[in-house]
Amino acid sequence: MGFRIDTVLSHTPIGARSLVNRVSAAAGYAFRGLRELILDLSSFSAADFLVYAKYSLLVWGCIARVVIRRGPIGFIHELIRYPWMLHLLRATALMRRFARGRSGLYLESMCMVVHSVAELLSELLEDLFYHRDRLIITEEMVPPDIARAMGLKVWMLEAMGILLPMMTPEFCLKYIDEAENAGVNPDACSLPKATMGMVMKGHMPDGLALVSSNMPCDAGMASYSYIQRAYKLPTYRLDVPNNFTNDRAERLFSEDLKGMIAFLEEHTPGRMDWNELKRICEGRNRMLDLELELWDMIRLRPAPLAAEAVILSHMWHFNLFAGHPKSVRHYERLVEMARKNLEEGRPATEKERFRTVLWNPPFPHFVDIFNKAERLFGVTLINDSMTYNHHTPIDTSSPETMLKGLSMVIMQGPMVRHTRGPADNYLDDIFRMVRQFDLDMVWVANHVGCKSGQAMNGILRELCRERKIPLLVLDYDLLDPRIASRDSMMRQLEFFMENVMKVDRLEARRTG
Amino acid sequence: MCKEGNTVKTADRKALKVFQELLENPVNRLVEQAAGDGRIPLGYSCSFVPEPLLMADRLFPVRLHATGIAGTEIADNYLSSLVCSYTRSILEFAFDDRYDLLQGWVFVPSCAHMQRLQDNLEYLKKPGFVHTIDVPRKVSEATLDWMEEELHMLSDRLASHFQVDMGPDSLDKAIASWNEYAETVKAVGELRKRPDPPLTGTEFHAMLMASLASPKDLIMPEIRAFRDEVEQQGDITGHRARLMVVGGHLHDPDFIRVIESQGGLVVADRFCTGSIPGLMPVETNGRGPVRALAEHAFRKTLCPRMMEDFDRRLQSVIDIVREYNVDGVVIEVIKFCDLWGVDSMPLVTALRDKGIPVLKLEREYRLGGEGQLRTRVQAFLESMGR
Repeated sequence: MGFRIDTVLSHTPIGARSLVNRVSAAAGYAFRGLRELILDLSSFSAADFLVYAKYSLLVWGCIARVVIRRGPIGFIHELIRYPWMLHLLRATALMRRFARGRSGLYLESMCMVVHSVAELLSELLEDLFYHRDRLIITEEMVPPDIARAMGLKVWMLEAMGILLPMMTPEFCLKYIDEAENAGVNPDACSLPKATMGMVMKGHMPDGLALVSSNMPCDAGMASYSYIQRAYKLPTYRLDVPNNFTNDRAERLFSEDLKGMIAFLEEHTPGRMDWNELKRICEGRNRMLDLELELWDMIRLRPAPLAAEAVILSHMWHFNLFAGHPKSVRHYERLVEMARKNLEEGRPATEKERFRTVLWNPPFPHFVDIFNKAERLFGVTLINDSMTYNHHTPIDTSSPETMLKGLSMVIMQGPMVRHTRGPADNYLDDIFRMVRQFDLDMVWVANHVGCKSGQAMNGILRELCRERKIPLLVLDYDLLDPRIASRDSMMRQLEFFMENVMKVDRLEARRTG
Repeated sequence: MCKEGNTVKTADRKALKVFQELLENPVNRLVEQAAGDGRIPLGYSCSFVPEPLLMADRLFPVRLHATGIAGTEIADNYLSSLVCSYTRSILEFAFDDRYDLLQGWVFVPSCAHMQRLQDNLEYLKKPGFVHTIDVPRKVSEATLDWMEEELHMLSDRLASHFQVDMGPDSLDKAIASWNEYAETVKAVGELRKRPDPPLTGTEFHAMLMASLASPKDLIMPEIRAFRDEVEQQGDITGHRARLMVVGGHLHDPDFIRVIESQGGLVVADRFCTGSIPGLMPVETNGRGPVRALAEHAFRKTLCPRMMEDFDRRLQSVIDIVREYNVDGVVIEVIKFCDLWGVDSMPLVTALRDKGIPVLKLEREYRLGGEGQLRTRVQAFLESMGR
């Protein structure tokens, strides 16, 4: 190199310096991206490359359809209103990160998950563009089933804060800073902070009404004091009892759901269509059947499918699109793939040496850590706490039974179940999963903002020692890589594998 | 008395020394005396726990506090250092057997921290009697019914575990006794509405905290003596501003002393362990004492855990500012408290929009960083032109 970029910058006026900085950053980014792309693609077999190429085209097709339908000028208008949409262009890069080092049906399942996210996300965006007259705003733990059955469109405020850091790890930082600068305590969970920041910046859509809840945590619940004032919308709040495992709680919460229906009928054009709710619940039940079948298959060692195919599917499809025909189809395909691998005696990964569960929220800004763990140490992520639920199928014989069933789905749902009631709700599920999925270790995602989880680590550590279950407590922040960088997270993982599990690496660590 | 430069000084009152002494230990001599007489002390940690219910028959309530805590090294191993220092302090003292005289614990899952405190306490200490009151987070006819059932369940468990009379007559008697206590303390607190009140915020809070941590009947004579003493002495003049303190748990009166040392007289206490609106009397409404207590719990507690109460919380602060002629509001938040930490953001904005000066202080449960606290308060008073 004949010159150094910082030498050039020191001799450049400030305005031009900023431009040079930006161009050099973009060039560096593009160069690294291209190098990664070539490395990744060259590692695929011809068949895997074709699968990857097919799903890449499908993802780009979803994006193109949204843009074309809206028209270039209309879409630019929407981009100005919702600038975060630009990050969705990185969907195929996410797919590549998932696909890295994987092959066959396992690789296809990863690509399929990303495609299914893109496909349904394009529907959500179209709701934003074309159905604002029926759009309501909800908090993340309020299932959209009932509102959808009322003919309403639902925008979950926290959804983008979880999804987009998977594509751009630093996505939430400016929103987190916005909330902290406005006075929110910096030690609060970064998800409500990012959500409030997005609302403050005006990057979230308007709606007809707001539905929030007391779930899943104090910060999440309290953030709606601000959000309600910012939106100035009529608001309904669902209240899940702390002790939810009894008929009394079911009755109270069912009544609460009825109150929500009455509220939505009063403040929106939505009207309850019980037949539509029945269709949605039947779809949800079908998905539950399929998921249980999938769990039965991944119990076997080695697992026929694993990792993001299992956990991202649940996170996206059960939380946002339960009962949707495309979600049902997605689960059918996943089960078909697992079944085929099982019949042919082909594991998801030949490298499976250890099986683990992830407890607590996952790592959106480092979502490929499981892929790295799989390649470096042969650790296969079998399931996670966000996926593990306990409810039975919904009885669709009457409106009453459906509401009762949905009450149980909500109250027994991940995070809701684990953040309330006695500690046993949290601990028993971990040890049940260890037995059910024949696990070798437990990973706890130790999110600094999650006080409820933090305060269980002492007990969990002692109980794991008693049971001789290796436990990795991995410190991180849900959405803020400044708190624990990808590198520091990898170091924690490596330290655990090398010093506690005492295993050698399967391959050298690649940075990035 | 009371003015020295720009500081508000706490007077040398005899009764005050009694209160300060009672706060030195989590289980004080009055608790020991009552327990020695065969009465049953029950610890509780949240304002949603109805004290009168724990005053029936031989029972008496003790507000869990850990004044004088030096560190929380052992509790940090279990609760982590990222959980509020109040809950860590309670667990630390529990490890040190400082609450061994308590025969039962009554909790409310008011927040994740409190809920996990209970979980860890049960795991580590396995107390003989622990009960959780599942208090809803919004108020409606249905949740009032739920709360009433919850209190009935607690009442039944207390009756069977401790063999005490929890019948309607016993509860009515307890309510009457609590109302008398509340009226007395409230009357002392209302002396602070005067332009030049006869007592400081530090003195009032010491009295209130001591009363929460002691059997009510045994401390009532001390409260009356304090009231008489206050009424006989002169008013506090020359303070720089009248302040209201708003927030969660605040146990150590020295926190208020530091604020007052800069000339800000604390005339209103709208926090968990404060008198406003915590001391409003229980209204018996003919629907039974338990129902009355359920309604009272919601009415007298203004906590950010209640999802639909933000406007009520805000309005209460505004009303108190007018009623007590407050110049500025100090919001105190214990570090890592998500409820107050997040909720205070729109609260601060809304109060400032109303032209009310606000200082938000993040603090630990035990008093620390006095110098910094003094500087912040001083700067706040100066920003108000005082």
